[in-house]
Amino acid sequence: MIVASPLQPLEDLLRHVLNALHSVGLPWAWSIVGLTIIVRMLLVPLTVKQIHSMQNMQAHAPQMKEIQRKYKGDRTKLNEELMKFYKENNINPAASCLPLLAQLPVFIGLFYTLRHFAKNPPGGQAAIDRGDFSWLHFVPDITKHANSHWSGYVLLTIYVLSQVASTYFMSGTMQKSQRYLMMILPIAFIPFILRFPTGLVLYWMTTNLWTVGQGLITRRLIPKVAPPGGPSPSGPKRSSRTPPKEPPPPDAVEPAAEVPAPKQSNAQPRRVKRKKKARR
Amino acid sequence: MRYMGVAAVWAYRFTLAPFLGVGQCKYHPSCSQYAIDAYKEFGFFKGTLLAGWRLLRCNPWSRGGVDYARDQRVFK
Repeated sequence: MIVASPLQPLEDLLRHVLNALHSVGLPWAWSIVGLTIIVRMLLVPLTVKQIHSMQNMQAHAPQMKEIQRKYKGDRTKLNEELMKFYKENNINPAASCLPLLAQLPVFIGLFYTLRHFAKNPPGGQAAIDRGDFSWLHFVPDITKHANSHWSGYVLLTIYVLSQVASTYFMSGTMQKSQRYLMMILPIAFIPFILRFPTGLVLYWMTTNLWTVGQGLITRRLIPKVAPPGGPSPSGPKRSSRTPPKEPPPPDAVEPAAEVPAPKQSNAQPRRVKRKKKARR
Repeated sequence: MRYMGVAAVWAYRFTLAPFLGVGQCKYHPSCSQYAIDAYKEFGFFKGTLLAGWRLLRCNPWSRGGVDYARDQRVFK
């Protein structure tokens, strides 16, 4: 109850969206899938950013490997050095906590919405009998617990597989032990998930599959340019983030060589200003 | 009181984090480690505020980097 009250507006909003999708003609189960897709589509711009930053990281892979080898024993130091390296090379790490945490309210909101559905389903018992809450002809009722029907176990299996797969895609530079933990925990949680409404498993399954699909597309878009071992060429280093950096120097330096000193000092601040604008 | 905050972060790590797939943070230490440090050093209320502020900073438009709780400048 304590958790539910601040989330009440969100629960209402989610129910409105679900209702809207349902009134368009989608069955409830497909409305949940639709809602998931809407949430993930809102996050797509972030994915584009992520692709850029991954391309950038790819270009610096050899140096990063070098750092990783250097600080192999000390994980804290390694992270610190990596962060410093990112900053020096203008790499913006893709992963950030906020967008991921933003999914948390949706998850909890949907949990309460579905629980509410289970208690008093819109349309009453007649709607359940009519199969309003069924999905793909094999899930009889998405408001019931996942362990109430064999189909729940099917969804659960897909969920666990998709969870492991999406963790695999998400955990770019995560430490190995942490990655294993993240992959094992969903399996350890199966007894609890069994008591979740099936619709919630459906939501989590859809969002994971979206992550996997996104990961596959992202991998395709990132060319493996990094030469193994050798120092990275300066070409790709500059091309992705700071293109205006290269043209100004010849323009600014050549006249500076001819004209007296004061003008040279004028040219320099201008260059700094341009750099700042480019970064934004 | 402050250990309640630390316990809450641990509870989050073992329950919700795997569902969310939060595997990587653009800051070092990660947001949850930052929260633990903040709770230990500044107590429950300041710790919560610091951790919340850190989470808000941990967005796609920030730069990330090395950022320890003890180096905070919110409370002086």
